[in-house]
Amino acid sequence: MFELHNISLKYREQTVVKDVSLTIREGESVALVGPSGAGKSTLLKHLRSVQATKIAWCPQHAGLVPMLSAYHNIYMGGLSRRSSLYNLANLLRPFAGPKTEIQVLAESVELRDELHRRADELSGGQQQRVAIGRALYQQQAIFIGDEPVSAVDAIQADKILSLISQRHQTIVLALHDTEQALRVCQRIVGLKDGAIVFDLPSAQVTAEQLAALYQA
Amino acid sequence: MNVKTRPHNNTRLKLSLWLALAGFIALLFADIDMHRASPGQELLRMAQGLMAPNFWSYREIASSAFNTLAFALQGMALASAAGFILALLYRHPAVRGFCAFIRAIHELFWALIFIQLFGLSPLTGLLAIAIPYAGTLAKIYGELFEETEAAPRNNLLQSAGLSAFFYTTLPLAWRPLLQYTSYRFECAIRSSIVLGFVGLPTLGYHLETALGNGQYNDAAALLYVLLAIVVSLRWWLKKALLPVYLVAALIYLPPNAHFSWANIARFLSEDIIPAPLRNKANIDYVAVFDWLAMLWQQQILPGVTSTLILSQIALLLTAILSLAWFPLNSRQFFSPLKRSLGDGFLIIARTLPEYLLAFIGLLLLGPSMLPAILALGIHNGAIIAHLLGRYSGELVLREDACTGINRYSYEILPRVYRQFLALLLYRWEVIMRETAILGMLGIGTLGFYIDSAFEEFRFDRALLLILCAAILNIIADMFARNLRQRLHLRPSPETL
Amino acid sequence: MRLLTVLTALLVSSSISLSALAETFSFTAIPDQDESRLQERFGKVAAYLEKELGVKVKYVPVKSYAAAVTAYRNNQVQLAWFGGLSGVQARELVAGSEAIAQGYEDQFFVTYLIANKRSGLSMSDDFPAGIANKTFTFGAKGSTSGRLMPEFYIREHFKKSPEQIFTRVGFSDDHSRTIALVQSGAYELGAVNYKVWEDELAAGIIDPSEVSVIWQTPSYPDYQWSIRGDVDARWGTGFKAKVKQSLLNISDAEILAAFPRQSFVEATNDDYQPIKDTAMAIGLMDAE
Repeated sequence: MFELHNISLKYREQTVVKDVSLTIREGESVALVGPSGAGKSTLLKHLRSVQATKIAWCPQHAGLVPMLSAYHNIYMGGLSRRSSLYNLANLLRPFAGPKTEIQVLAESVELRDELHRRADELSGGQQQRVAIGRALYQQQAIFIGDEPVSAVDAIQADKILSLISQRHQTIVLALHDTEQALRVCQRIVGLKDGAIVFDLPSAQVTAEQLAALYQA
Repeated sequence: MNVKTRPHNNTRLKLSLWLALAGFIALLFADIDMHRASPGQELLRMAQGLMAPNFWSYREIASSAFNTLAFALQGMALASAAGFILALLYRHPAVRGFCAFIRAIHELFWALIFIQLFGLSPLTGLLAIAIPYAGTLAKIYGELFEETEAAPRNNLLQSAGLSAFFYTTLPLAWRPLLQYTSYRFECAIRSSIVLGFVGLPTLGYHLETALGNGQYNDAAALLYVLLAIVVSLRWWLKKALLPVYLVAALIYLPPNAHFSWANIARFLSEDIIPAPLRNKANIDYVAVFDWLAMLWQQQILPGVTSTLILSQIALLLTAILSLAWFPLNSRQFFSPLKRSLGDGFLIIARTLPEYLLAFIGLLLLGPSMLPAILALGIHNGAIIAHLLGRYSGELVLREDACTGINRYSYEILPRVYRQFLALLLYRWEVIMRETAILGMLGIGTLGFYIDSAFEEFRFDRALLLILCAAILNIIADMFARNLRQRLHLRPSPETL
Repeated sequence: MRLLTVLTALLVSSSISLSALAETFSFTAIPDQDESRLQERFGKVAAYLEKELGVKVKYVPVKSYAAAVTAYRNNQVQLAWFGGLSGVQARELVAGSEAIAQGYEDQFFVTYLIANKRSGLSMSDDFPAGIANKTFTFGAKGSTSGRLMPEFYIREHFKKSPEQIFTRVGFSDDHSRTIALVQSGAYELGAVNYKVWEDELAAGIIDPSEVSVIWQTPSYPDYQWSIRGDVDARWGTGFKAKVKQSLLNISDAEILAAFPRQSFVEATNDDYQPIKDTAMAIGLMDAE
């Protein structure tokens, strides 16, 4: 699915990922953990860029269109499935079909009552859930999320993450909450200073390894 | 200009000095004598007219006011639709070039061309406004689209394509796009008025008659109607009502035309072909060269020279007036009441089209470049002062900041200077365009020779001269853009 | 509600000069003087022609000489009261056009050179060589009496272009404005249609202590009515002849005084050959 061999990546002119090799197979669920600045986001962006049109993508910052409703922001995930004309008409007046789909989806990310509010009127957590809704509505086999639930409370977060797992064959997430990572993913990749420190099945990761990751 | 304001920023200071120097040098070559024995007397008569406006011919006033609005509405409707479509393709250099070209030709010149094709018809007025405005709107829309935040688009599966555009780029650019479009509508009303000076039945038509014949009471009534229309825009120009207005405009003034295909065919295949090439089997290169050399020497060179001279002086005056006037509209200097008076003056000065101001100036001061310089300086100076005043009002000063002239020179001017330069450079191209046009009032810029060519029915010359004016504008535009980029100046697009 | 009614009535009633009906016979005239006078003059002519011809007749006002020619060319008007030069230009642009009538005085028209008293010039029979190095305004750029003929005689005398002779050359757009500009001192000298001068002098508009005539040109043919060749096809055979006869028949003193002409007489295209030659001589028209 993804095969990286000794690649280095830059972010704002600085090399933040150095000489990394990483292979992710179909059906895996992988969590990237590590302190901020370790290169997680850069690595995820690179993974996405390999086949951007086939990956459900949930970025760290929601990146919503503030003046459109939550409904339209979620609908955006499915733009490429429909014709431009249909999309344009739906922008002016939502069609019943996608409306029902998105209502169901919104309920699963607990946004039912917010669908018709403008995105910029929503709280940070709600905005993040809209972004997740958009990613889910992209309906792809692979999901890549960069801290997708960082602004959502813990109980909701677990529900949403398991929903993401159910709906996608392969998932790659960057998570700052290591407990969460161990609960949700089968495989943990520890990153520090742009290099992979460990790459193990969740069951084999020790607390010491995790602690070492976050030590200065 | 003001040496003390930015001692640490050499480039901006240098640019200011160069602009000032260019203005002063141009002044040495300019014809700015006053040729009127007693301008005071004429001014008095005008003032008396303003005191006693004559609204008796209200039918004429009403119908020309409706015509003015109808041309502006229809022109803007077509221009914004065409501009929008062109903006979607604005990445392509060919589209960019096309837009730069059509907006480099002034609406009055377009009108003169279309009068030949469609007569003095509503279609002529509609196209004369729509075409150059489409070019300007395409540019601004295109830039607004380019400047939208990229993240929402990049989060989609496919970031290119129409769907992505309508769901991300367009909503993100929507507000400034509407703001700019409504500002442009105000400009379209001004353009529509000016079209009256070449014979279309707008307010300008009757203004020209009344002013030219010294019927200042009639002129005052028309002037008040003009001001009332522009000042009241904010109350009646509502998005929801636009379709109603547009339909009303189309019913009131259907865009029909008087034309014959034979005439259009003759215009395109014969009239605009350079005279030495017309009806000739073989190209006589010597004759073509002579023709070009004659035009270059007798019309293009003097026309371009005066256009440059006049526009540089006008730019300098615009700079001086805008720096002198912006406190009138600034919270930092005046209380709300006094400020509303000051801004009232600025609004009147920017509402009156340069062409009209220059026309009045010529009546008062007699024929020379002086009225044109004053007209351009006052109109553009008021526009910049209005924006700069508003901008300076948003600055937060420390509690114990000094007041009066010290506040102006130590606190405010250094902070607004960058914005000021950016606005000034934006107006440069506009001033150049208008300068060329003012020639139609008899001042020796390119417009004078273009008008003469139309009067002599030498459309080949007219088109060549219009082309020269367009090239001049495109160069000014490119030059100003280059300077803005080098100096990192970028004001809001409302200011164009 | 009432406001709405008034507005609707206003919208409907204020007829727009642009949307002429096909059956209406339209004419225009070069705007050679004060526009309110033009309206008065040609309003009367329209009423007279309507009565004589039995079709709707409309006067279309225009802003410039060129606009008059263009309206004629685009068939927006079928008949026009042109000056010598604009008539030649119009008939050149519309094949089949004919000059059908001219004012009696137009057979031997002249231009007056006028001067502000501060120029120090006074009336002379010989060409006033003292006009050099002063400021000078013509009338409209396409005017015969205000530009073509005076420029011809000035060039003939000095063998130079006006720009080289005078310190400033202007175009006032019409004869009334030329008089006003010279009277106010904005220009020291001007060239003006003698009929407009005498008309305004009689009306008391001119202050003889400020501005006076210093020379008059030799005579030349000037204003005429020109008509498009295709009018018979639209209004029936003999329509052109009927228009011509109606114009020649004008005897109403009020109409004649508005022009002002003592009567209208027959004209032909050939009468204006000298104008065409002059226009070519000073480069206003290209030689064929």
